[in-house]
Amino acid sequence: MKNIKLIFAGVLFTLSASFIGILLSGRVQLGSLGRAPAEEGGPLFPPREPGLAIQGRQVYISLGCVACHTQQVRPASQGNDIAKGYGPRHSVARDYVLQPSVLLGSHRIGPDLANYGARVSSENEIHSHLRSPKAGSAMPSYAFLYTTGKDGSVVPTEKATALVAYLKSLKIDYSSPEAKLNQ
Amino acid sequence: MSQDSYRPSFTLSRVDASVAQPVRLFFASAFLWLILASIVSVITAIQLKDNSFLGGCSLTTYGRLKALEGNLFAYGWVTNALFGLNLWLMSSLTRFEFKNAWLANLGGVIWNLTLTYGAIQIVLGNMNGLSLLEMPKEVSLASFVGFLLAALWPAVAFSRRPTGHVYVSQWYILGSTFVFPITFALTHLLVLWCPAQGVLQALVHSWFYQNFHLLWFASSAIAAVYYFIPKESGRTVAAYYLSTVGFWTYFLFASWTSPASLLGSPLPLWIQSVGVVASLLMLIPLVILSINFLGTLSWNRGLSQSWNNTTLRFVLVAIFALILWGALFAVFSTRGFNAVVRFTSFNVGLEHLLSYSFVSFVIFGATYFILPKVTGSFWLSPKLVHLHFWSSAIGTVSLLVITLVAGWQQGSGLRTDWPSGIFPAVLFLIGHIAFGINAFGMLTAKLSSGHESTHA
Ligand code: HEC
Repeated sequence: MKNIKLIFAGVLFTLSASFIGILLSGRVQLGSLGRAPAEEGGPLFPPREPGLAIQGRQVYISLGCVACHTQQVRPASQGNDIAKGYGPRHSVARDYVLQPSVLLGSHRIGPDLANYGARVSSENEIHSHLRSPKAGSAMPSYAFLYTTGKDGSVVPTEKATALVAYLKSLKIDYSSPEAKLNQ
Repeated sequence: MSQDSYRPSFTLSRVDASVAQPVRLFFASAFLWLILASIVSVITAIQLKDNSFLGGCSLTTYGRLKALEGNLFAYGWVTNALFGLNLWLMSSLTRFEFKNAWLANLGGVIWNLTLTYGAIQIVLGNMNGLSLLEMPKEVSLASFVGFLLAALWPAVAFSRRPTGHVYVSQWYILGSTFVFPITFALTHLLVLWCPAQGVLQALVHSWFYQNFHLLWFASSAIAAVYYFIPKESGRTVAAYYLSTVGFWTYFLFASWTSPASLLGSPLPLWIQSVGVVASLLMLIPLVILSINFLGTLSWNRGLSQSWNNTTLRFVLVAIFALILWGALFAVFSTRGFNAVVRFTSFNVGLEHLLSYSFVSFVIFGATYFILPKVTGSFWLSPKLVHLHFWSSAIGTVSLLVITLVAGWQQGSGLRTDWPSGIFPAVLFLIGHIAFGINAFGMLTAKLSSGHESTHA
């Protein structure tokens, strides 16, 4: 192995093998995935996101929530996410097709949020959690997203409103051809 | 020659002198970023324990500082250090006298300015959500050019080398020098510029992340281990004939392992399984590496000999870390075990094992060897070297124990909180400051004594 061209060609080969084998074949399989009805003629899922939620995702990204939260529910055969109540079914590739940036995440310092919108009861609950999380929890306070009104009441900034709309939109409450909700 | 030096200094060899300037620049920037990253990592560790710490404004919120820490460590510390290490190693193996130091310097300046800009953007919240791709997309082109100018010189040195002999180290350096820019360009294109659809982004990201760690970080570090073991122990590498197989299997399997980090995710099952199989196959090159490394050092009191040599002491810890990483990575990529530790602090431990306990320890050891050769002065204080070694070593062992054990406990439902790791973070900071004082002492001693290194 004295020849630089041989090493270059060899390394290039190994790299393109994995590129083609994993990324391109993944693309062939998933690239054309779109919205689909769970049953013939039913409504298309995943639902379109409200505009405010799209802005909220940007806030979520820019505050680095993904450092602590995942958005993926693993199948029952691969972990206990469903048993823990993170979602009624596991996540499938189709759930993410409308998302401009996918935030699967890799660390769960806090709970998974893929189905958070279905768990939470009110916007106020989310606002108060963001503003003052439980003492002793690792979840940081995002009080800087709120201001105080003239009458001393708490006023969410635009960012906070968008973020909450985004969190509320995170729901796995529909069946997809690949994974049905258990009735 | 030097009238004013109060500590012994010596003349650089011609080859060392020809690369001294860029190597010093790369190392100096690497050390600064390392200390900065360590400070940030102490802050984020405290934030996990006390969620109000520096939480009052968006600039220092945990999510941004964590991204900052990762980028400074990977692109500031490790990558700069590898620019210097690979360049020095290659020129010294080929006896090639480097004529274009200014181009490498320019590359280093571009790389570090882009990183500074990117780091500021992260703190301002102008960032992406994929780890080590957080810097906004406008930095792509500049970092790419910076990288090419800073890092392609080993390939030039190799193709123009005056000597014919080829060493294993050189394959690994060339391999990593080629892989990084290709991976970098493809990933930035497919994730930031024309984003792939849906979960494919996560797949491309995992490919990038794995190539970056195994084929840029680790393979450069492996090159250095292949160099320093025979050099400092005076022995020939055991079972040398295996090293070719080791090299090719390493490069063949490493980037196929990427989907193993996506087990249970919404990606097709067969892709995940490919990752699992590749992680097991990685044991082949890793066994060969351990035979080459430990086989050389383990007989005839080689281990205690290594322990008494500063460079080899770091390298020795690094070798054990690599072996442990390979074993844990293979075992915990299998579905059953992975289901337990996925998303837990276990993965923090595994990543630390590779990028700190292995790669950074190799760089530390290498720096202790190289810096005198490119500055012409000696390390200021052996005490600081000891302090550096012990705080980094104790820090790394305690971080591993904390994250691996807690990760296993989290996964099996025995524990819910995340370990903060303040103790190891503080130890790392202490060690890195000790290292930095020593290193900058040498780097500035040369400047103040004022004679040109190229006189040699
Ligand atoms: C340092 C890690 C960390 C960061 C960063 C973080 N969180 Fe959390 N989060 C947690 C932890 C831990 C919990 C669970 C404890 C609690 O409820 O306080 C949690 C809980 C939550 C919950 C409640 C989940 C449930 O199932 O009840 C929501 C919603 C949430 N976080 C949203 C966010 C958002 C939005 C961001 C970014 C603006 C964010 N988190 C950033 C750690 C974090």
